[in-house]
Amino acid sequence: MTVTLEVANLSKSFGGVHAVVDASVSFQPGKVNAIIGPNGSGKTTFFNCVTGMIRADAGTVTLAGHDVTRASPDRIARLGLGRSFQVCRIFPRMTVLENLLVAVKNPSLTGALGSAKNPTAIAAARVWLRRVGIDHLEHAEARNLSYGQQKLLELAGVLMGDPEIIMLDEPAGGVNPALIGRISALIRELNAEGRTFVVVEHNMELVMSLSDHVVVFDRGRPIAEGDPAHVQADPRVLEAYLGV
Amino acid sequence: MRNASETLELERALTGARWLTAARVIALLALAAVLVVFPQTTKVGYLLSTGVVILNYAVTATGWNFMGGFTGYISLGHAAYFGLGAYGTGILVVKAGISPFLALALAALIVAVIAVPIGIAALRVRGASFVIVTIAFVLILLLMFQSMGSITGGSGGLSLPRPFPDLIRTDHHRTFYYIYLGLLAVMLLAWWAIDRSRFGMGLKAVREDEDKARSLGVPTTGAKLVAFILSAFFTGLGGGLYALWFGDLDPVFQFSIMMGAYMVLMALLGGVRSLFGPLLGALVVGMAIEFFKAQYGDTQFHLVATGLLLAVVVLFMPEGVIPAVKGLFARFGPQASSIREISAADLAAERDAEEASKP
Amino acid sequence: MSLFVQSLILGILLGGLYALLASGLTLYFGVMRVVQIAHSAFLILAAYLAWFFATRTGLDALLSLVITVPLFFVVGVGLQRLLITRLKPATLTMMSVLLTFAIALIIEGMLGFVFTGVQRRIHFSYGSASVPLFGAEVPVVKLVAFALAVLALGALWLILKKTGFGQALRATIQNKEAAQLVGINTDRVASYGFGLGLATAAVGGTALAMDATIYPSLHWHWIGPLMAIIVVGGLGSVPGAAIAAMVLGISQSLLQIPLGTTWAQTVFYVALFVTLMVRPQGFFGGRLAQRF
Repeated sequence: MTVTLEVANLSKSFGGVHAVVDASVSFQPGKVNAIIGPNGSGKTTFFNCVTGMIRADAGTVTLAGHDVTRASPDRIARLGLGRSFQVCRIFPRMTVLENLLVAVKNPSLTGALGSAKNPTAIAAARVWLRRVGIDHLEHAEARNLSYGQQKLLELAGVLMGDPEIIMLDEPAGGVNPALIGRISALIRELNAEGRTFVVVEHNMELVMSLSDHVVVFDRGRPIAEGDPAHVQADPRVLEAYLGV
Repeated sequence: MRNASETLELERALTGARWLTAARVIALLALAAVLVVFPQTTKVGYLLSTGVVILNYAVTATGWNFMGGFTGYISLGHAAYFGLGAYGTGILVVKAGISPFLALALAALIVAVIAVPIGIAALRVRGASFVIVTIAFVLILLLMFQSMGSITGGSGGLSLPRPFPDLIRTDHHRTFYYIYLGLLAVMLLAWWAIDRSRFGMGLKAVREDEDKARSLGVPTTGAKLVAFILSAFFTGLGGGLYALWFGDLDPVFQFSIMMGAYMVLMALLGGVRSLFGPLLGALVVGMAIEFFKAQYGDTQFHLVATGLLLAVVVLFMPEGVIPAVKGLFARFGPQASSIREISAADLAAERDAEEASKP
Repeated sequence: MSLFVQSLILGILLGGLYALLASGLTLYFGVMRVVQIAHSAFLILAAYLAWFFATRTGLDALLSLVITVPLFFVVGVGLQRLLITRLKPATLTMMSVLLTFAIALIIEGMLGFVFTGVQRRIHFSYGSASVPLFGAEVPVVKLVAFALAVLALGALWLILKKTGFGQALRATIQNKEAAQLVGINTDRVASYGFGLGLATAAVGGTALAMDATIYPSLHWHWIGPLMAIIVVGGLGSVPGAAIAAMVLGISQSLLQIPLGTTWAQTVFYVALFVTLMVRPQGFFGGRLAQRF
C-alpha cells in the first residue's frame, strides 16, 4: 500500500484548554493502527483535526504526499481517507441505498448531472451492503434501522467511497458483542485486502486482538507506541490509565 | 436467492408502486390541463391577472426551493433576487433602451453574478446566521434602491413601457400567463433533473447532515453555491417577468420581507422535498392571499393570517401537506407494508438480541 | 468639531440602547440556540404599550415598565414552554427563526389592527429639554433612555454574575450537557432565560419610544441592525454583543455626518458581510456561530 498518513507536531486548543499538544504520529500503511488513551486525552480532537473537521492551530497532516492540514474534509475524503463518527451518523431520511449513493465519487460534470441511481452505482452499493450484511434493508429509511444496523450502514457508506485509509471512531461503541465480532471480522477482511485502518477504541480486548500498531494518547500527546504486547507492558501507559 | 413469499411481496410492492405512479401521472396531467386551459375560459381581466399573480407566486416559491428544498438552507430574503431581477430588467429597458426580453435575460444573469459573492459570504455560516444574512441583504437593498433615486426612481418608483404595446389588457394578461407557465415548466424540469442527479444527491445529503456529507467526499461548498446561484437566477427571472408584466416597480414592494416570507410559507406548506410542493403551496396560499385582498382590501389582517398560517405549518407540519397525504396513501395503499415489515421484524429481532446480550 | 462631539455622544447613547437589545437576542441564542426574529416586534409592542399607558393615564410612560417588564417575562417563559419546545431538536434553529418570524408578523398585524398604522409619539413634560454636554446639546429624553438601557444592562449583568440562577444560565449557555450533569434543570433555565430576554425588550421598547415616532412596521428597521450586531459580536456572547453594539452604534452616528442617515445605516450590513468573510464566528464571541 502506498497511501500514507503522517501527522507532525499537531496542536489544537479550545480557549485555554490544550486538547492536542505537539502530536506527531506516523501510521503504518496496510496495517490496523489503534489509538487508545484515557477519556479526555485528545483522541477525538486529534481524529477530527486529521480528517479536517476541525482546523488545527499548528502542525502538518500529510496524506498520500499532499499537505492536507488546511484542506476541507471533503477534499481529504476524496484523497482516499474515509471516516466514521463516534456517535454514528447516517442520513436518517434517506433509504439505505441512497445513503451509499451519496458517497459515490464525482469525477466530471456529466457525472454530476447523471442519474444518482445509475446501475453501476447501485451495483457497487449492493456489493457493500451485502458485505456488511444489511442488503435486505436496501429500501428501508435509514432512521428506521436499529443502532447496530445504522453502525453497519455507516461503515458501508464509508467503504462506498473506496478509501485506502479508514479511520473509525469507536467502531464497537454502543453495539452488542455479536455485532462487535462481525465488525472486527470485517475490519480484518478489509485490512487483508490492503486497506489501512486507524481505530480509536475503548474496548481493550478488541484493540489488542485487532491491531498491529497501537498509539497511546495522554493529555493531548502520544506517550507510547508499538505493537500491542509492547504497549501493554509500558509503565508510562499503565501510569496514564491508572494515574499511579 | 429469493424465496416464494419474498417474490410475492416484491410483486405486490411493484403493483402498488405502479398504481401510485399512475395516480400521480393522472393528477399531474389534470393539473397541467387546468393550468393550460384556464385563460381560455374567461375574458375577465381581473381573473386573468390573478392567474398571473398566482403563477408568479408559484415561480418564486419553486425558485426558492432550489436552495431551500435541496439543501435545507432557509432563506427569508429571497425577495432580494426577485427585486434585483425586476429592477435590473426595468433599468435596462428604461435607462439603457434594451429590448424587453433581452433585458430580462441579461438581468437574470446579472442577478446570478451578484449571487456569487453573496452566496460565498452567506454560505460560510449555517442555520440561523444564514437566515440573518439573507434578511440583511433584502433590508440593505431596500435602503439602497430607495436612496439611489436617479437610477432606480427611488421611492417614487420606476415605470416600464409594455413589451407588447398593441395588445389589449386581457390579451396582455393572457400572454404573460403563458410565458409564466412556460418558465414554471422549465424550472420544474430543472428541479426534477437535479433531484435525480448525483449533484442533487449531494445537496440532499447536505440537508440531512452537512458534516457527514463532507466526510463522505461531497464537495458541499461548491454544491451549495451552485444551488444558491441557480435559485437566485430563477427567482430573478420571475422578478424580471413581473416587471415586464406589471410595469410599475416600487422598492417597498419589490424588496419586501413579506414576499420572501410568502415564498417560504408556500414551499413549506406544499412540502420542500417534493417537486410540486411549492407549486401546490403557491396555489393554496396565493389564492387565499388574493381572495382576502379582494374581500377585505389591503388591511393589516393579511399579516396576522400569514403569521398564523406560518406558525401552524412550522409547528404541526414542517414537512408540508404532500408528505402528509403520501403518508395517508402509504397507510392505506397496498404497497405500504413490504419494506416496513422487514425492517420492523428485523428491528425486533435485533432488540431481542441486544436484550439477551445484556448481563 | 462640535458636530463631531455631538455625533459621538449621540452614538454612545444609541450604542447603549443597541447593547441592551442585542443582549436579549444573545440570551435567547445562548440558552436555546434560537434566533428570535420577533425580538424587535416585541420591542415595538412595548413601545406601543408605553404610549397607550401614557395617553390613557396621563402618567409618565416610564411607569409602564412596572407592568410591561413582568408581563414580558411571563410571555417569554410561556413562549419558550409552549411553542419553542415543540420544535424538533434537529431543525430547531431554522424552524425557530420561522416561528418567531411568524410571531413578528402577528404582532405587527395586531398592532396595526388595534392602534392603526398612524404614527405615534409619546409626550413627556421634559420632551423638548436638552442639556449641554462637552459643548454639545443633548436631548434629555435620549439621556433618560440611555440611563434606562445602562440600568437594565447593569441589572442583567448582576443577575448573570451574582445570582445562582445567573450561574446556571451561564453554565447552560456554555455547555448544556455538562450543566445537566451537575444537576441544573436546563429546561427551566432556558425558559427563564427566554423570559429575561423578552423583559429586556420591554425596557428597550420603552427607552426607544421616548425619542422616536413609532408605527407597527418599525420593527423591520431594528431587526436588521440587531441581527448584524449579534453576528459581528459572536452569537451567544453577551459581552461580544454589547461591544459590537457600541462600536456599530457610534460608527453609525459618526457616518451620518458625511453620508446621511440612510447610507449610514448600511454600516451594519457592511460589518456583517466583512465579519462573515473574515471571521464567521464573530469578532468577540465564542465558536458557536459557524455551527448554528
